[in-house]
Amino acid sequence: MTAPDAVRNGFWDRLQRIDRRWIYAVIWLVVMVPLILPFNIKPTAMPPVSRLFSHIDTMPEEKALVISIDYTPDTQAELHPMTIALLRHAFVTGRRVGMLATSVYGLGLGEEALRQVAAEFNEKAATHEDSVINGEDYVFWGWSTPFVTVMLGMGERITNVFPVDYYGVATESLPITSRIKNYSDIGILMSVAGSSVPLSWVAYAQTQFDVRIGCGATAVSAADYYTYLNSGQFTGMLAGMRGAAEYEQLLADKLATAGSKLTLRRKATEAMSSQTTAHIAIIVFIVFGNIGYFVTRRRKS
Amino acid sequence: MKRQLPLLIVLVVGIFASVAFFIPHPIVRSVDEVFRNDVLRIIAAFSLVLGVGSILRHHFIKIKRKAEHWPFSYITLVALFVSAVIGLFGGIDPSRPGILPTQVGGFSFHIQTLFSNMMVPLAATMFALLAFFMASAAYRAFRARNFEATLLLVAAFILMLGAVPLTRIIIPPLPDFAEWILAVPNTAAKRGIQFGVSLGMFATSLKILLGIERGWLGGGGS
Amino acid sequence: MNISTDPWVWIAAILTLAVFSFLYRENPFYRFAEHLFVGIANGYAITFYWHRILVPYLFNPVSHGQKLYLIPIAIVGMLYFTRFIPKISWLVRFPIAIALGYGAGANIPRSIDANIIQQLKATIITRASFADWQQGIWAVIILIGVICTISYFFFSTERKGIIKPVSYVGIVFIMVGFGASFGYTVMARISLFIGRLQFLLGDWLGLIK
Repeated sequence: MTAPDAVRNGFWDRLQRIDRRWIYAVIWLVVMVPLILPFNIKPTAMPPVSRLFSHIDTMPEEKALVISIDYTPDTQAELHPMTIALLRHAFVTGRRVGMLATSVYGLGLGEEALRQVAAEFNEKAATHEDSVINGEDYVFWGWSTPFVTVMLGMGERITNVFPVDYYGVATESLPITSRIKNYSDIGILMSVAGSSVPLSWVAYAQTQFDVRIGCGATAVSAADYYTYLNSGQFTGMLAGMRGAAEYEQLLADKLATAGSKLTLRRKATEAMSSQTTAHIAIIVFIVFGNIGYFVTRRRKS
Repeated sequence: MKRQLPLLIVLVVGIFASVAFFIPHPIVRSVDEVFRNDVLRIIAAFSLVLGVGSILRHHFIKIKRKAEHWPFSYITLVALFVSAVIGLFGGIDPSRPGILPTQVGGFSFHIQTLFSNMMVPLAATMFALLAFFMASAAYRAFRARNFEATLLLVAAFILMLGAVPLTRIIIPPLPDFAEWILAVPNTAAKRGIQFGVSLGMFATSLKILLGIERGWLGGGGS
Repeated sequence: MNISTDPWVWIAAILTLAVFSFLYRENPFYRFAEHLFVGIANGYAITFYWHRILVPYLFNPVSHGQKLYLIPIAIVGMLYFTRFIPKISWLVRFPIAIALGYGAGANIPRSIDANIIQQLKATIITRASFADWQQGIWAVIILIGVICTISYFFFSTERKGIIKPVSYVGIVFIMVGFGASFGYTVMARISLFIGRLQFLLGDWLGLIK
């Protein structure tokens, strides 16, 4: 082996040329192992999350929470836990809930979330008042298109935009409809989105009708949405799986304080140990990549 | 006429939509509402034709020309046809079935079942692949070549560490510092960029209304 | 270990693994899954566009003799089909013009308010910004950052004099902002993978308690 070959086949050179599938294998392991052997640490809510939680917790009783399912199956891992946590919070505090989807692919996800959370509460319900009933405590309006029709139409009368709900029942016939007629009956509209739809809610719904908007965003978008948090256009924000975990923790603390016997699975919190190890792995990859880069570059020069 | 008339429609409809925002008169509001609820909704419903038609055309051509991986095009066409038939004739609410039964014994093949157990896993997993590609890219490409790149790297490290609950135990001030980075310098940078983007989008919308931007007309037809 | 006996969970797991097989290398299983996804997604959309838009908002009212003005509107909508008939494909411009015109027109005043005016209001410093002195200092930093960032993207003059250091400060803010975005992007991508593993290890194999 000649000297240049020895240089090119050194440890750092080989590390620079490593097959990407080894990197994939490391990522798979660092995410999988903590899911099976978790080390859960209680997340601490950041101000955007606690502001949102506090607003929903303390808004007037007659005001409803509306959740807009603005995500699709590709981003449901990050965003679905947010929808679940928001629904649980609303039902725990006795808020009326309206749900809609701005994408046809969000319909199934919204319906699944409502079905799951309603079942969680109804299993433990002792009386009719404890139960959550479709048409009385919540309504799933479904989906319509285009979104400008939905966002502007809801400011006038929601039943004009959704004359039938997701299940095909006339919305005017539902008891909840007399309590959620338009934006003025809504305490906050939560846009849980994997795209820029929350900005459309701000532009169309908030600009014209002054409705409070909250945002549940993928972490990719969350960094960009801090400008809207700063301006007050978003009341609060859940950023990615971490935001969902923090919200779940706030809700768990509230239930514990109230002495509730509800035990609810917290998927986002369960994921935090894998998130931790994965982040450390990525940092190690970047550090090693840079060390290798500088070592090999120095050798070449 | 083939180009002038659509441009005129864009201008008239666009001006109406802009002006309706400022005029609270009931007649203007009700015309706006009818336009949105009826005209736009029906037209948007038919816009699906463009997407589905393009997919069908693409795969028919692939099969006809026996292009690379052409047998897989049959998978798309069959899946599209079968799921559309199940959805159109089987109903969308499992508790209110349509004319096509969607359950055999205990086995359901309702459109919602197909969605939850086929579409969701497929879509979610395709995006989950990005985690691996991101890791590989971070290892191979993320280099602290100069001060600016190092700054980007350091900010990224602080955010990554600040995002996980364990950091609060090991380095207690780090999560709050990460939050400060998001709330202050990140906000400043993104807002500066956003002003430019928003002004650009406003200019583009205006150009579309005024017929200066004509790319949407496509080719052909004078 | 508590492996699921639900056939649909097995189907979902097999499809998940078929897509993950792409990580090793491209293969027929991945291709099959990819093509299946496209087909089902389109079939699902067709279902809901039919049941939730065309039937309740077009066919039902018209068949009951109501809202007959929807018929010419539907004819305009059907012009979308002409996209695939080369001789008359120019007719597709009409429904596009209506949708595009309304969308652009409705967006102009609203996005000016939401994305420019409100953001400007939040950037400008007033006495109220210093109600809390710490928030006041952050507000000053944000104002400086916004001005410097905008000056970085101003390419109409040469970068000399005061513009040069101001632009450089802008780059610093931009790099910190992009670093923050990258850090959060890492979290986002990993979360998507965690979601899939939670399904495989939990719902399918029953390894997660």
